[in-house]
Amino acid sequence: MIFMKYQHLFVHFEHDDGNPANVSFEMLGEARRLMDDFNRKYSLNEKVIAIILGHNTKPLCEKAIHAGADAVIFADHPELRYPKIMLDTKVICSIVRDRKTVAKAVEVSEDYEKPRYMFFGADAIGRHLSSTVLAELESGLASDVNKLVVDDVIITHEHKTKGKPEKYEKISFMYRPDFSGFLWTQILCLDNKNPEIASEFSPQACSIIPGVFQPVIDKSRKGNIVEYEPTFAGKDLRIRITKREIIKSEVPLEDYNVVVAFGRGIKDAPESNIKLIEQFAKVLNAEVAISLPLSKQPYPVSQSIKSTYFIPARVVGTSGKKIKPKLYVAIGISGAAQHIIGMKESEFVVSINPDPDAPIKDESDVYIQGRMEDVLPALIDSVKKLKGGK
Amino acid sequence: MQNTLNIAIIVKLEPDLSEGNVSYNADGTLNRSQTRSILGPHSAIASRAAFYSKVLYDANIKVCTMGPPIADIALKQALEICNADELHLYSDRAFAGADTLATAEALKTGIERMGSIDLVIGGHRAVDGETGQTGPQAAWKLGFNFLGNVIDYNVDLANKMLHARRLIEIQGLYSILEEVECPLPALIAIDPSYKERYNTVSHRLKYVRLQKEARKRSENYKQYLKVWNAKDLGVDMKKVGLPGSPTIVYKVEKVPRVKTSRKTKIIHGNDSELLDVSTKIVEMLNSK
Repeated sequence: MIFMKYQHLFVHFEHDDGNPANVSFEMLGEARRLMDDFNRKYSLNEKVIAIILGHNTKPLCEKAIHAGADAVIFADHPELRYPKIMLDTKVICSIVRDRKTVAKAVEVSEDYEKPRYMFFGADAIGRHLSSTVLAELESGLASDVNKLVVDDVIITHEHKTKGKPEKYEKISFMYRPDFSGFLWTQILCLDNKNPEIASEFSPQACSIIPGVFQPVIDKSRKGNIVEYEPTFAGKDLRIRITKREIIKSEVPLEDYNVVVAFGRGIKDAPESNIKLIEQFAKVLNAEVAISLPLSKQPYPVSQSIKSTYFIPARVVGTSGKKIKPKLYVAIGISGAAQHIIGMKESEFVVSINPDPDAPIKDESDVYIQGRMEDVLPALIDSVKKLKGGK
Repeated sequence: MQNTLNIAIIVKLEPDLSEGNVSYNADGTLNRSQTRSILGPHSAIASRAAFYSKVLYDANIKVCTMGPPIADIALKQALEICNADELHLYSDRAFAGADTLATAEALKTGIERMGSIDLVIGGHRAVDGETGQTGPQAAWKLGFNFLGNVIDYNVDLANKMLHARRLIEIQGLYSILEEVECPLPALIAIDPSYKERYNTVSHRLKYVRLQKEARKRSENYKQYLKVWNAKDLGVDMKKVGLPGSPTIVYKVEKVPRVKTSRKTKIIHGNDSELLDVSTKIVEMLNSK
């Protein structure tokens, strides 16, 4: 008989009305890798459990097993058809705290209380849901994670350990890039071992950036699929969806074969540089994209430029869209890791940047060292001529 | 007054990332000492959204933030946008180093101390932390309904109901426009694409008048400011600051360069080189 209050990795499988989000498979792929390593390292046998809330979402359960889950716990109810944060929070917390339900899915310790680890997607569903779930479970949450390592660590911390070195075991090192994209922060969720503020924090949870991890699909995988029957009180159904429609993005970057993107490099003359970029995009029949910093409207430009270009719908990268056009032209973009993730699957990449140390260079097939003010007019001319010659 | 809509806004003082104000180190990271701090852009949008209720419903607005003493500047700037009635700054060394859970706890306590708040409005996320977690966590702790990604909203005062539209973009899938309703109290996080609509002449006139008033009042913002320390606020000391934070920042390092399989051809933009690139580009355009 084993005694362990916190066990297993629970993954919230994200979907909309049965349509799975890619991040669900990516999370399960990473969860599989992480727990295989974990079990080898600690000679344990802890599992990856997918939680699926929805209505008529049985087909997703098998897909979750193929993607790496050892078991699935699902709840099926018409009220759960679409993501609803308050309701979903309640159901998820009931599931992960219910030893009986978890025991139907996997082998579980006698004194099981809560998950050891939890994953959510860092998107419009999981970002908020992870927050409320962890507020309810009163534990730590790292957002926008793109690397995970489990290890033991000695910590000396003013509050956590009252300044004394203490050993922490099976800690998830959750790496998240900061807003600039150049710094990587390791977030740890640690118990307070200081007796004055003693507290145990579990699960160690994170939300995972879509598009980072690789799904690993194996259709021969088998696993337990267990149903949980949720019960709702009236107050759980306070938020009512009165209308719902699927809409196309105002800027369908994904549909274009050629995308011209610009970044902070426009700074010397934002208005006239954007005009140049517009011209260039027109010659190429391209849609225009931006890097994340531009969506924060850092330049004093005309209202029409602001509302046309400096908008989230044009952002390429982990905080925006992941695209794979035939041709991607990066103008004045330095190439923070988050941006690269959004464009690295482009077939052919041309970049224009005066800084030869800019990381975008390495992700380019052709790197033009120069200022856009000098390079673009010449490039526009010569492409026009060549096109005209056809 | 029984039918007053009582609004709280949660805002944050953040580094000003706009060009000319922001300073980056040579390695591309933010130079914090050279970058001034302002009301965060998403907090500003949240303030705009609250001002909408000031114009339409004569809402009473209280703005709050947790931060160092200089964070009162963020409150002043929020007042300038929304003509707030009161400003609340939660400032204590005991709050320092808080993660989102511990920040949400302090804000929750502050909002509870305000009395009967119907609607809390927060921004989408902070530009420095970028977690977007504090709003929903405060909502959960308050027991309020939470709606995120709100692009516009209205309040039915008589029935204390909130009607909102949400824009939910799911990466790699599609976007959803959702209309929802829920009883107050609620906490909403305002999406960056939030747009307010002042449809009547009287609303537009009131908008202008109240904006003018807001600018004037913001000059004497300290008159409306109350600074709370941890003891005044009556927080549970074990749940705020570092002791109340499950997570710590263990290490900060530079992001290693992404591995790439591309063989980069480096050129400097002379005519023949540009012609080669153009030829390749046109080839790509025609290859379909």
